Amino acid sequence: MATMPASASDLLKSFKLKTKQQELLIRVSILCLVYILAFITRLFSVLRYESMIHEFDPYFNYRTTLYLTENGFYDFWNWFDYESWYPLGRIVGGTLYPGLMVTAVLIYRILRFLRFAVHIREVCVLTAPFFASNTTLVAYFFGKEIWDSGAGLVAAILIAICPGYISRSVAGSYDNEGVAIFALLFTFYVFVKAVNTGSLAWSLASAFGYFYMVSAWGGYIRFVGFQHVQSGEHMAAMGVFFLMQVFYFLDWVKHMLSDTKLFQAFLRITVTCAVAVGGIALGLGMVSGYISPWTGRFYSLLDPTYAKDHIPIIASVSEHQPTAWSSFMFDFHILLFLFPAGLYFCFKRLSDATIFIVMYGLTSMYFAGVMVRLILVATPAVCLISAIAVSATVKNLTVLLRSKNKVVQTGSTKGSGGSKSSSKALLDQSQPFQKNGAIALLFGAFYLLSRYATHCTWVTSEAYSSPSIVLAARGAHGNRVIFDDYREAYFWLRQNTPQDAKVMSWWDYGYQITAMGNRTVIVDNNTWNNTHIATVGRAMSSYEDEAIEIIRSLDVDYVLVVFGGVTGYSSDDINKFLWMVRIGGGVFPVIKEPDYLVNGEYRVDKGAAPKMLNCLMYKLCYYRFGEMLTEYGKPPGYDRARGVEIGNKDVKLEHLEEAFTTSNWIVRIYRVKPPNNRWWLNRYKFG
Amino acid sequence: MAPKADSQSAGAVAAADASSQFSMDPVFHILKVVPYSFLRPPRLRLKIPSVSLPSAMTVFSLVLLTYFMVVSGFVYDVIVEPPGIGSTQDPATGAVRPVVFLPGRVNGQYIIEGLSSGFMFVLGGIGIVLLDLALDKNRARSVKVSYAIAGISSVVIAYVMTTLFIRIKIPGYLR
Repeated sequence: MATMPASASDLLKSFKLKTKQQELLIRVSILCLVYILAFITRLFSVLRYESMIHEFDPYFNYRTTLYLTENGFYDFWNWFDYESWYPLGRIVGGTLYPGLMVTAVLIYRILRFLRFAVHIREVCVLTAPFFASNTTLVAYFFGKEIWDSGAGLVAAILIAICPGYISRSVAGSYDNEGVAIFALLFTFYVFVKAVNTGSLAWSLASAFGYFYMVSAWGGYIRFVGFQHVQSGEHMAAMGVFFLMQVFYFLDWVKHMLSDTKLFQAFLRITVTCAVAVGGIALGLGMVSGYISPWTGRFYSLLDPTYAKDHIPIIASVSEHQPTAWSSFMFDFHILLFLFPAGLYFCFKRLSDATIFIVMYGLTSMYFAGVMVRLILVATPAVCLISAIAVSATVKNLTVLLRSKNKVVQTGSTKGSGGSKSSSKALLDQSQPFQKNGAIALLFGAFYLLSRYATHCTWVTSEAYSSPSIVLAARGAHGNRVIFDDYREAYFWLRQNTPQDAKVMSWWDYGYQITAMGNRTVIVDNNTWNNTHIATVGRAMSSYEDEAIEIIRSLDVDYVLVVFGGVTGYSSDDINKFLWMVRIGGGVFPVIKEPDYLVNGEYRVDKGAAPKMLNCLMYKLCYYRFGEMLTEYGKPPGYDRARGVEIGNKDVKLEHLEEAFTTSNWIVRIYRVKPPNNRWWLNRYKFG
Repeated sequence: MAPKADSQSAGAVAAADASSQFSMDPVFHILKVVPYSFLRPPRLRLKIPSVSLPSAMTVFSLVLLTYFMVVSGFVYDVIVEPPGIGSTQDPATGAVRPVVFLPGRVNGQYIIEGLSSGFMFVLGGIGIVLLDLALDKNRARSVKVSYAIAGISSVVIAYVMTTLFIRIKIPGYLR
């Protein structure tokens, strides 16, 4: 009996961990929780609606992934897609970044091998959250490398819920960025590790990481091929490579030569030759056209006013607008305070790794200021630097808390004898005050971080979890009303039109029509051919007689428009119409933007320009709308998205007929009537 | 200067040059004859000014300035050219009232609201920096206390103002 309690207490003692093991347990459990948190915070739309692909671009990625699973890699690489950009077609193999699709198919194959019978769509939907969780792990290791493990943990937590990252990696957003940010952070981490340890294995790993990032992301180059020696944007990388070769060659020669004067002469000659050769090569390349100049997208990062004046397509994309302060606040919250503080700590303790992260942070923040979409690229740097600030501040405070009466000893070593006793007394008095102050500040830090978490969850739930293809609104009694018009229209196309029908719409909807409607489109989101898009824009902004010529020349069977006048949906084609005019007018000067405006103002009511009231887009959107009662107390034909009564209610279509309008009038499809048998009779009509 | 003395001293200089350095450079020989046979170059002691790298804290303050400009939406101001402050007409009285925050969109601003928000962010950052300076051991106690009070008040003011701004700008914030 006496041995029982002894063995029980022995048993308990064997479970009690040493401090190091306790610390490891805490760290591992925090990382596990952060991993799970990063995954589940991105699942709002899957829980609210269903597991579907969001937005526009992911539909193209999904379609190519489907093709890859069905046909294998070689057919995928050599795929010529005849269902988009009719009649030009598109060489898919050479114009996309296969990293994302290959990754998704790899995960799919592994799951299938383990006998989980998943559909490829589920894998596609959940790829981005999975990679976001992996990013938090990489952020932890990166933070550990730059500062210490505490900073790594904070970095992992911050990046798990940061809205700037969530916006492009939510479940259903099957796009390159979801995978590419993981690849980017991994490459940078492995690079810094290689710089710190000097080992060849890590540098090789960073090369592979870079290869993966290049294969997954269109964010910085368009095609992989000979771009690395040909495009203007890569010249800087080539220059650095060349300089490094010269540097190491000189180092080696210095090692071989013992005479310093001779080496100085050699150094002068070599540097002059190297610079001259490099300059001549660059000059020849640019003049002969072998090295292409910077593309518009990247030139506009350096000169932000360029796109506005020269390339309307780039300027029209809402993600390419410059950033206002509220977008920063929305996506970063308190990280905006912690970022400059973190920079201060990095400047205090300068090392290779901190210099690297400071440069990454500053350049990415500048580019994020130029283009809203690039906030995503700045997010890992901002999270890491903010984590350094949090970790350093908390460490300072806890050191203050933990300091016992050792302070008295250090107080006595400095100062003369007279002030010794007074300083001792002061320190004794201030001790509890300092400790209370430190506790209060720790609570303050905890409060700020909890507000950050609340903000991030709210933003994720309200702003970044909408699938864009399914619209939601609050009904009259506060209940949620779902508009599934897009999918209704696409499935109508799929089931009620001939297989070889061609659909003309604005380029936004191209990917969705091909993926869900399974029909050929004229232009889609790839926007690689500006003239083709301008042709469609011209057709939409001309009178019906001129437009039908263009429509017939493109062999179009159906025209699709998006109209928000009944529901108040503001991202419809009438609001995008001026961009159609600008892009069409950029190529065909017969379309002039002032024709559609009244005193510089864009109107659709009675005071609108006559060309606006009779163009094809107006007619297709407002056909039969003049009889429609949309809101209580307003006249028929009241456009709820523009807030006015439309000007031309009596719309008659001559060459097109209405084929389908969805239940909330959001998508409207028109069939192109075949030409009259005896058309020449109409031309020579009497009277 | 008498030309005779000039040519004499120039000749002496030229002779000295010729004896010390034999040059194959034709331009040098032409220059020796054309202006410098009768012009005497002044004897100056010129040194290339030495440029020393700035200290880390100088760079940090420059970085803070650029951060302020980026975060207050400077690029947005340059491209979109919004007005400094907006205005709306009161429907009842017809008087024109100023509107500080651009309503309705997350990614839009007037110039003044951008600058004031950017200032608040930088203030919060500086507050945390002051807190760290306050916890540094090698300062007089009064300085440490004043830094601590300044730091805490900066962070609190910055956080409160920023939350207030975002609540005004986005009416449905956190509801």
